[in-house]
Amino acid sequence: MSDAVSGSDQASDQVVLAFERRSEPARELAAQAGAVAAACHAMAVRFHQGGRLIVFGTGGASTDAQHVAVEFVHPVIVGKRALPAISLTTDVATVTGVAAREGMDAIFAHQIRYLAAPEDIALGISADGNCASVCAGLSAAKALGMLTIGLAGGDGGAMKDSPATDHLLVAGSDDPLVVKELQVTIYHVLWELVHVFFEQPGVLAPVVVA
Amino acid sequence: MTRPDTKGGTEAMESLYPFLYSGTTDLSAVLDQVRASTVAKTEEIIELRRKVAAVDAARLARCARDTAARFAAGGRLFAFGNGGSATDAQQLATLFLNPGPDAIPLPAFGLANDTSVVTALCNDVGVEVVFARQIAAFGGKHDIAVGLSTSGNSENLVRAFDEASRRGMLTIGLAGYEGGKMAELDSIDYLFVAPSASVHRIQEAQTTIYQVLWERTVAEFSRLRESA
Repeated sequence: MSDAVSGSDQASDQVVLAFERRSEPARELAAQAGAVAAACHAMAVRFHQGGRLIVFGTGGASTDAQHVAVEFVHPVIVGKRALPAISLTTDVATVTGVAAREGMDAIFAHQIRYLAAPEDIALGISADGNCASVCAGLSAAKALGMLTIGLAGGDGGAMKDSPATDHLLVAGSDDPLVVKELQVTIYHVLWELVHVFFEQPGVLAPVVVA
Repeated sequence: MTRPDTKGGTEAMESLYPFLYSGTTDLSAVLDQVRASTVAKTEEIIELRRKVAAVDAARLARCARDTAARFAAGGRLFAFGNGGSATDAQQLATLFLNPGPDAIPLPAFGLANDTSVVTALCNDVGVEVVFARQIAAFGGKHDIAVGLSTSGNSENLVRAFDEASRRGMLTIGLAGYEGGKMAELDSIDYLFVAPSASVHRIQEAQTTIYQVLWERTVAEFSRLRESA
């Protein structure tokens, strides 16, 4: 009996520890606030010019890409305008077709080349910043003249060093699950604060933000 | 400004972002406010996670143990939700099914994934049956149903939990606010509420809840297998 009780206490402690592992990386997210603000402003400028948001990621990040798209198209806050956003992960026929013919690395780059326009925004999501499909997608977007934003974790990985990434937002953790949770906060904030700029057209002239 | 806002909504916006209404178009002032807002939101989510852990750690541990026992008995997991919560259901399913090289893959399905089934049910019957009908088709007594909602009020979740409970499945609900209708159901074995009024913070806390649930379930499952 006492064994069973101490066993359940231990299991409960494991849950508490798992939650606590999130706290420090979440606190460090505050250090990204300046980069988040700059990315929001750049996105708002593009939307103002008629651009659309194009989001992509593989594995768990594909669900984030779809979450971002629905966030912008169907806002949860009443009165916010719908903004055009699509995820490149939902067309299974195209994704598997491109993967089978050209390889996984091409699944987003191919769609960007044929669906996107220069005024659009690319948002690539990867837990470690090294996803080859996402990096290729950002490169294709950059080549087209799109604004490119990378959401990464860890040390930023390949996205950090790539000239194809205009704005890099890094969730400071090496645990992909913790990174995902921080990225959810990052893109929720991106959505909300893009609207702040968008509702203030005087600040939407396409200027360089230091 | 052409937003069709109510007066109350405008006042709320003004208190959140006073510079919008001060007549200024000073970009650096707006950037400063946006930075401050970002910091405030990270503080909110840290506090919400702390609250959830304080209230629900022991129940989450028990829920993980029960979920692992269902998998050990041959059960499968079905996750469902609408909109952003559909993407969370998909994430939870892929976390179990394709967890990477360091964890045991376990059978899990996202019930919002198949657009043919979802649109067929919406068109022929109604959105309220899109999950319940699939639970009726697939669900067995060893299986696990996980439904995610921010409001806790989605009718199609209520129906799915009824169907899952009738079939003897283990039922797990994630909700926000104060739990909504889901807090009133007898059909949910474990309900975890992220007590916030922000849909965004609720979803962020729910992501932690189900990812920690996955982590502890896989640990319990490994323990069960070793002791078997």
